[in-house]
Amino acid sequence: MKQYGPTQGNILGSINRRFLLKAAACITGAAAIGRVPAVWAATFDEVKDQYMSAGIDWRQAAGSRIQLAGLTHPWMETIRPLVPIFTNLTGIEVDVVEQSNTEYITEMPVKLAAKSASPDVYMVWAQGQAVSGGWLEPLSSFLADSSLHDAQWWDDDDNFPGARSFSVWSDGESYTRTITAEAQTLFVNRALLDAKGQSIPGTFDELRATAAALNDGDVSGIAMRGKATGDAVAWPAGGYVFSHGGGILGLDGAVAMDSPEAIAGVDIYARTLREGGPLGVANYHWLEALNDFLQGATAFGCDSSNFATDISNPDKSQVADVATFAAFPKAPSGVSKPNMWHWLTGINRFSENKKAAWLFLMWATSKPTNLLGGAAGLATPRTTAWSSDAFKGAFGSEAAEAALANLANTDGDIMKATWFHPQAGQVLDAFAIAVNEAITEAKDTESALKAAAETARRALGQ
Amino acid sequence: MSGVTAIDIHARVRLYRTRSVVGDVLRRAGLAAFAVWCLFPVYWLIAMSLKPEREVMSRRPKIFFFEYQFGNYAEIILDPNTLSYFFNSTVVAVGSTALSLAIGVPSAYVIARYRFRGSSDFAFWILTTRMSPPVAVLIPFFVMYVTLGLSDTHVGLILAHVAVNLSIVVWLLRGFFEDLPYEMEEAAFMDGATYFQAFRHIALPLALPGIAAVGILSFLFSWNEFLFALVLADETVRTVPVGIYGFIGFQTIAWGNLSASAVLMIIPVVMFIFVFQRSLIRGLTLGAVK
Amino acid sequence: MNVRRGLPRNAFILMMLAPTTVLLLGVTLFPFITALVMSFTNYSLIRPDELAWIGFGNYANLLGSTEFWQALRVTAVFTIVAVAVQMVLGAAIALLLHYETRRSAWLRIIYLLPMAITPVAATFTFRMMFNPSLGVINHMFKAVGLPPQDWLGSPSTALFSLLVVDTWQWTPFIMLIAVGGLAAMDDEPLEASQMDGASFWQTLGHHVLPMLTPYLAFALVFRSIDAFKTFDIIFVLTGGGPGTLTRTLNLLTYKHGIEFLAMGYAAAISIVMLIIAIVASQIFLRRLKLLQPRQARI
Repeated sequence: MKQYGPTQGNILGSINRRFLLKAAACITGAAAIGRVPAVWAATFDEVKDQYMSAGIDWRQAAGSRIQLAGLTHPWMETIRPLVPIFTNLTGIEVDVVEQSNTEYITEMPVKLAAKSASPDVYMVWAQGQAVSGGWLEPLSSFLADSSLHDAQWWDDDDNFPGARSFSVWSDGESYTRTITAEAQTLFVNRALLDAKGQSIPGTFDELRATAAALNDGDVSGIAMRGKATGDAVAWPAGGYVFSHGGGILGLDGAVAMDSPEAIAGVDIYARTLREGGPLGVANYHWLEALNDFLQGATAFGCDSSNFATDISNPDKSQVADVATFAAFPKAPSGVSKPNMWHWLTGINRFSENKKAAWLFLMWATSKPTNLLGGAAGLATPRTTAWSSDAFKGAFGSEAAEAALANLANTDGDIMKATWFHPQAGQVLDAFAIAVNEAITEAKDTESALKAAAETARRALGQ
Repeated sequence: MSGVTAIDIHARVRLYRTRSVVGDVLRRAGLAAFAVWCLFPVYWLIAMSLKPEREVMSRRPKIFFFEYQFGNYAEIILDPNTLSYFFNSTVVAVGSTALSLAIGVPSAYVIARYRFRGSSDFAFWILTTRMSPPVAVLIPFFVMYVTLGLSDTHVGLILAHVAVNLSIVVWLLRGFFEDLPYEMEEAAFMDGATYFQAFRHIALPLALPGIAAVGILSFLFSWNEFLFALVLADETVRTVPVGIYGFIGFQTIAWGNLSASAVLMIIPVVMFIFVFQRSLIRGLTLGAVK
Repeated sequence: MNVRRGLPRNAFILMMLAPTTVLLLGVTLFPFITALVMSFTNYSLIRPDELAWIGFGNYANLLGSTEFWQALRVTAVFTIVAVAVQMVLGAAIALLLHYETRRSAWLRIIYLLPMAITPVAATFTFRMMFNPSLGVINHMFKAVGLPPQDWLGSPSTALFSLLVVDTWQWTPFIMLIAVGGLAAMDDEPLEASQMDGASFWQTLGHHVLPMLTPYLAFALVFRSIDAFKTFDIIFVLTGGGPGTLTRTLNLLTYKHGIEFLAMGYAAAISIVMLIIAIVASQIFLRRLKLLQPRQARI
């Protein structure tokens, strides 16, 4: 068995820089035209050794055909053009099915609940629901089988600790592999700050005051999500709650969104948007929030570090030169616990090609694949990818630094207590409505959260 | 045959000529205002499809005289998926419209013309098939389709759309058939026509304007239907509305591609309406021929 | 009536009704029965193993919850206002169009465009136009000196904005049916009354509208059924917010069924919606005596 040199120094020694840049160009190009570039066939040999060094037989499921399903997400756009490498390596054909977020979360539960055999591999949008519903194949038998998994080659320790914890469920079983890493990060339009002699704030209250000072009707101070749905305002408001020492659900699973800490967090979130946000921020999803920032229409944004890829891209962004990335602010106590997320993929419990599906999963989350993805600007969960120059170039090294620092401050347990709950949907929906009501002042923060907590308790039977 | 008159279109024109000039102006103004109201969002959609991406999201949107380009259309037309989405949508919409009319028209006629026990209950049952919200039936629908091998087939989606639209076909046409004067059928029976002949040669031609209107509606409903198309069809039978939704990206919306496909999608619809609405007019003068 | 050749009367009726019956039964019966059964269980996709019969439990929970009554209120307001506005507007336009002889073909196509555009694209276009900072509507407001509005996010305008979009999209539906009705109309009494010197409004009130009533009534029934189920424009434009001010019953069904995966509960909401729709349309159709065919002569 060939030993793959672990994380010794720069992996660019084995996948050379020229190749990575070419790969990045291919992926970006492919994402733009939606097709797979022919150039892969020629470059495949350059990367093949990286995979061949794994101590398994990649071709053991040759000839089979699997379906990968996911939503229109940077990960899908990155992995799609890399699929020919996998097919060439394993002889397994992969049909990639990509849908918008809404279509995906509408169709997938129907398919999976009906025990559909396709897709074989899919992006997991709510692990709590999927595990509880029995829609994910446990991975321990694959992990234990040395003919299917080379643990040393795959090198789990290279994954961020948070990423590792995301892929282990509370019962100790693994149902998923982690594919991205993101943490709540402050985006700053330096030009707007400089024009008014403001500096980058360090606490929530400073952020609120600075945003309010910059909000002049033409340009807003800050744009964050405000829309009253569980997938919108709940996530960024979550970081505010965590930093104030609260939780949406507590670590014991009890509803905690009406605790004084949570109320304090939501209160400052709502005040910040009221005083510093643009008109209509209460209906903002991340699309609107990101767009305002890209257009230079707002001084601050505070959302997923992943948005750096767009913010640093001059084709999409008017602020690529003047944007900078900063630490998530601190609560009065000095604590900063930004919210976090790792996207996950898993194998359909009812798949008829589990071996091929597993090979794909391992390939897609391996070091070389992540390195290639990182070169295209994808925020993977692997240390080696993040430390590569190609990634820093595509993502922006300042953005990478800020994201890493914020990732290090996250508290996976308190976030998972809510987001991994099987009934996260109900809880987040109630929470989101309360935050929205606090922003629009339909109710005061406390009574909004108390009412939401009641709704959540009823839903959870507490 | 008093009821069916030769509707002389010129007589109508004459009638209106006699009306006041003020009324004429007001009528035209009303029609124009409604046209602007209908067209403005359409215009905006077309404008978005022609603007470069940074213009679409501009904070000072240009209403007229914007910089334009056809890159979005080129991208859409060159994308092999587009063609297959259009093909699927056309097959499903035309197929389901044809089938809805083929089986809905006879039922509507019988309900309108014949006395039989339970006829109003039967009609009401048909109406109820449109009432229940689809979310609850999605899973059983999907299971049933997979079991019967109908999932991701054109036939499967056509049947689903027929089920959704049949109620509208039957109920609206019932109204049209009821308004037809019965005397002509009566005369036909006297002349020895069968029940079917009376339907086929007398009632059906007279109901053409109604059939045209209902056909257009049925086509539009099927053409734009989203939820069943999403769940019951997959890659093979993906229709345009489902395909267009794919431009709603995770972090950004591909406005250019989205609007360009939506604009292109209007063309077949307008053609379809054009063809069908000729019978909307022709129906008017049919009485004269008889 | 004696018909000498061809099929006997009852066989003819059967033959004409059979395809509709078979297709509708075949396609809708199984899903409907399943949904009905589901509504009496705690069926949740999250806990498929704990499936149990809970009788009227879902219904009791639903009717005892504030979110249901609030959603019902929102749905009722939305449906009534939307349908009323669209009926008046659609019928008026159809009449104006009926009297227009020259450009009517083109106008009809223009008027049908809102229905012809994929709702997905249309609603996202509106989302763009309503956008408080980038949208063209506020841009025009500012140009004429009016203060910009938070169309979709503010409690005072969100429902109104949704009604505007719905009216834009669905007035053509009413118009098309009315146009069809007018085209099928027998013009002779109308001409006669005009010859007798009746004014335009008298002719309209005494002849045109009564003849149009059944068509408009059917249009109203279908538009109400669809408006009652409105989903996509609300989902895309406000997601039910601000707060829960635009959360309709169908949005609630989607939330519980697809987002929370509580299919039993979602099925119960669907059945309740079905019952409301049945009762309302029965009352309406009976009132107008439209349940029985008016011309069943044979």
